[in-house]
Amino acid sequence: MANVTDLMIMREQALAAVQGAPDVAELEAVRVRWLGRSGLLTAALRSVAALPIEERRAFGAAANQVKADLELALDQGSARVRGAATLAQFASEQADLSLPPRRLRLGRLHPISRTIREVSRILATMGFETVEGPEVESDYYNFEALNIPRGHPARDKFNTLWVSDPLGDDPERPVLLRTHTSPMQIRVMESRRPPIRVCVPGRCYRFEATDATHESVFFQYEGLAIDEQLSMADLKGVLYSFARQLFGGERKVKFRPDYFPFTEPSAEIAFDCFVCNGGGRTNSGACRTCGGSGWIEAAGCGMVHPAALRRVGYDPERHQGFAFGGGIERLAMLLTGTPDIRLFQTNDLRFLETA
Amino acid sequence: MRVLIKVPLSWVREHVDVTATAAELAQALHMSGTEVARVEHVGDAWEQVWVGRIAALAPHPNADKLTLATVEYGAGRVKTVVTGATNLTVGAVVPYAASGARLRDGHAPAGGEPVWITLEPRKLRGVQSEGMVCSALELGLGADHDGILVLDPGLPVGAPLADVLGETILHLELQPNRPDCLGVRGIAGEVSALYRLPLRATALEPISFGTLDPSLLSVRIEDAAACPRFTAAYLEDVRIGPSPRWLQERLTAAGMRPIDIVVDVTNYVMLELGQPLHAYDATKLRGRMLVARRAQSGETLRTLDDAERTLDPGVLVIADAERPLGLAGILGGEDSEIVPTTTTVALEAASFEPRGIGTTAAALGLQSSSGSAAARRFAWSLSTALPPVALARAVGLLREHAGARLVGAIDVDPSGASERRAAVTLRFSDVLRVLGVAIPDAEITDALLRLGFTVLVSGERLTVTAPAIRTDIAIAEDVVEEVARIVGYDRIPTRSPSGTLPVHEAHPVEEFRERARDVLVECGLQEIVSASLIDPAWLALLTADGTPIAPSPLVVRNPTSTDRSVLRTTLRASILDAARRNLKHRPGVALFEIAPIYLPRHGQLPDERPMCAILLAGAAGPVIAGETYLGAGRAFDLHDIQGVLDALGRTLRISGQGEPEAGPGLHPGRSRAIRSDGRIVLLFGQLDPRVALRWDLPENTFLMEFDVRMVHADVGAGGAAVPPRFPEAYRDVACVVEDKILYGDLVREIRASQKSGLEQVALLDLYRGPQVGPGKKSFAVRLTFRSAEGTLTDADLDRALSRIAGRLRHALGAEIR
Repeated sequence: MANVTDLMIMREQALAAVQGAPDVAELEAVRVRWLGRSGLLTAALRSVAALPIEERRAFGAAANQVKADLELALDQGSARVRGAATLAQFASEQADLSLPPRRLRLGRLHPISRTIREVSRILATMGFETVEGPEVESDYYNFEALNIPRGHPARDKFNTLWVSDPLGDDPERPVLLRTHTSPMQIRVMESRRPPIRVCVPGRCYRFEATDATHESVFFQYEGLAIDEQLSMADLKGVLYSFARQLFGGERKVKFRPDYFPFTEPSAEIAFDCFVCNGGGRTNSGACRTCGGSGWIEAAGCGMVHPAALRRVGYDPERHQGFAFGGGIERLAMLLTGTPDIRLFQTNDLRFLETA
Repeated sequence: MRVLIKVPLSWVREHVDVTATAAELAQALHMSGTEVARVEHVGDAWEQVWVGRIAALAPHPNADKLTLATVEYGAGRVKTVVTGATNLTVGAVVPYAASGARLRDGHAPAGGEPVWITLEPRKLRGVQSEGMVCSALELGLGADHDGILVLDPGLPVGAPLADVLGETILHLELQPNRPDCLGVRGIAGEVSALYRLPLRATALEPISFGTLDPSLLSVRIEDAAACPRFTAAYLEDVRIGPSPRWLQERLTAAGMRPIDIVVDVTNYVMLELGQPLHAYDATKLRGRMLVARRAQSGETLRTLDDAERTLDPGVLVIADAERPLGLAGILGGEDSEIVPTTTTVALEAASFEPRGIGTTAAALGLQSSSGSAAARRFAWSLSTALPPVALARAVGLLREHAGARLVGAIDVDPSGASERRAAVTLRFSDVLRVLGVAIPDAEITDALLRLGFTVLVSGERLTVTAPAIRTDIAIAEDVVEEVARIVGYDRIPTRSPSGTLPVHEAHPVEEFRERARDVLVECGLQEIVSASLIDPAWLALLTADGTPIAPSPLVVRNPTSTDRSVLRTTLRASILDAARRNLKHRPGVALFEIAPIYLPRHGQLPDERPMCAILLAGAAGPVIAGETYLGAGRAFDLHDIQGVLDALGRTLRISGQGEPEAGPGLHPGRSRAIRSDGRIVLLFGQLDPRVALRWDLPENTFLMEFDVRMVHADVGAGGAAVPPRFPEAYRDVACVVEDKILYGDLVREIRASQKSGLEQVALLDLYRGPQVGPGKKSFAVRLTFRSAEGTLTDADLDRALSRIAGRLRHALGAEIR
């Protein structure tokens, strides 16, 4: 006949067995041995009926307590051994994270598109609206209206590609592929009144032998601002801000006189070369990117020529402004570190996916 | 075309006494507008090269064609060299290169990259050669390798050659508004202004015009607009022979080849003053006259470049009484050429209207750098003040070096052009107005005076007259630029433009185009940009039978090459080409291009229609060739291109209209085209496999093209959805239909029968086979319902389903399972 003291002894023994069980099977054996239908504790509980009535309550309470303690210990033990098993399993599940990933197909904008967007975005911060114009252009807008009449020596600089309509040409109105985006200066001024601030990106064409820095089909951007009080200082301010936003503050800028028939005075803006940092030399000799000069010409610019203003019906006494233009690829080369302009039109994905 | 001239610095220093180094000068010129492309130092590479004198010559003991030359080059320094040259005489002063000298290999192929060698002692046919005597070519002084360069006998024997023959040459890139800089004197003028140094007066003996007996030579201008001024000199007793050495060296340094004294002097004066001249053998002038006139129909001329030319009527020629002698300002003729026996010379210095010269030279292909040096100069507005000055300079040189006697000279200036010098009036405040910086009045005046302008100040106004050779100064802005050049563009501050910002217009097409770019990139497609000029042959390769899919293109009259000779009227060829080339080194491509096509409109500029082309071809995965450990990957199929269309449609709300039809050049059963106003505005599908074969493309090549302008019109406002409050409920339906019934028909009928509450139709399965029988197929679809008012009940769904089933049975003959 068991008494409460026996219960306490059984409790200690059972808890020790739980503690010592190394795995789920042993724990189950412990549970069956003590709490099973013919388990020791079950038997002890069953024996309560044989006790004198005055002892039953105390013994019953103690026995239930022991059972509860044991069940709790079994739960904890179970969690303990399962946790150990999980950890052991995890330890055996080492993945090789150096294996190639499931690669996603990524799309990318062409560097020319990205550069055009960047140019437009920066100029928009200074109030310039992006507009576009025709690539196939009349001689008038490409040359005549820009003070470059037939026979003018400046035409030699623009090696022009001339266009023929298969249905027949009008010799009085020759058609060409625009050699620069400047015809849009005239078109915009004709269709708007000052104040004007526009940016014109677009394709241009020249009859040109291609090399690392020249393409016969290429992109330019043009800026035009007309108002009552604009001067070279404003032009310089816009271009310096443009350069800083595009290339960061460290890029050096050079501003020197140049010649364009449709601006007066005219200037050229250049940045120090990003490859040789303006030194003109690299480890392998003269820098190829800048031709050894240390400078990369980025844009031609100037004050819009009074004759061009007069031609579109503006009064040069009241309105004046500035224009600037440069090569998109030139900027894209600087921004992406591309050494050869021809890469932009190869459509070689090995280049495009990295540029 | 770039116009590059070579200016020997010693020649500049002859006109202005400037002490600045070459680098300083180059920088100053560059920053004031005269672009310095390069500074060349001739002779920098000469080490161990000396001025030597031939002390003795003896035959080589073992070789008939070789000579032993004893050279002394300074006190006690005597060496013997073996040479094959035949132009040596005892006492001749020649360049002597001791061993260790670096020389250009005279035997390297002409025209190639120069090869430089370091001289080492060596035996020639048994005799030790201690160094060598050099040709001009070996020293990098020109192309001459026919004999040893015989130097001026006055040079100090024993001096390093670099000290006496070294030269610094500025390579200048000129702009056509500055014809004055075509002459060394003009460049010297710039230097004089920049360094505040006086321009040296020329030691020129003026010649008196109007002294010429018309029976010897008369001059007539028939077209004063084309030839505003014509000066000529008549010289006798001219001895044709080589020019003095210094003159030859100058010409060589400036890039011209010495010929004989008369030609060399005309070239020398052209290089010095910018004004081209032409010399005639006066005895060959029939009627003893020079006439500037238009060519007549049928006239021919044999020009100095050995070409027999039939002259276009209207071309300006210089003629004698009977026939054209030369193309005025461009190229002389053979008939009146100076020959070694010539003794009587008629020298011409004239002014020609630049546009006419430029147009004629361009038409004859003579405007390039290899064409006519005179034409390149005349095409710029050379000053009409130059001819008499240039003529006097040439006469002076021929008197001194060719024994010439000036018989008389004549200046025909019918319009008095030479007397006109336009003055420009401006206000001091114009400088501030244009430059945005206040330059003190005194500094403005000073800058102009330094440039040789005359300046008259009257209060706030100044009236300026440029030097005669400056033909580019016409308006106030020109004068302001001169001031800015001299004070320096650095003086212009940077400022943010003030003033009202213009209101920007809307650009819906461009906005749509840029959003389309973004969506396609988000779909994993790579943007390409191809040349808009293509090979016309491509256009016949886009359909199986060569039927064009696009109108005939505009043609470039002067293409750089055939493969860039027409303006594309479709993007398809370009994108097929890009795919073909990339598929050589990767298993699959997903590309798009957005660019205009150029559709001819007779009588006006073409329609530049913005188009988008999309191409999927080859493997959809793996992205890296051969990386199949995660699965073999799959090929692109028709549903991928549908997916791109769907993505564009969901984001940009593209919607088609009209009856579907096959796309031209695409697989007729696996493509769709949608028209608007009668023309196709969107098409997609599989490329016709026969076309794919032609382009070396896989059969699974899929295309989409759409007109950006037409499709954008359907762009709506954003339709952002709020997450629903009530749960959805779904029912799966299987229905068997005839094979000809499309899935689209099914969806259309389902939606038509269920106006609200049907949220989504998803295709679970498409089955053809024994369970449905031949000629039939089964669609299993999941219909998702949701109400905005509350949770749907089974009764609601049953009602909806029965309505749908009825409609499908009735409209499509479907059997619902």
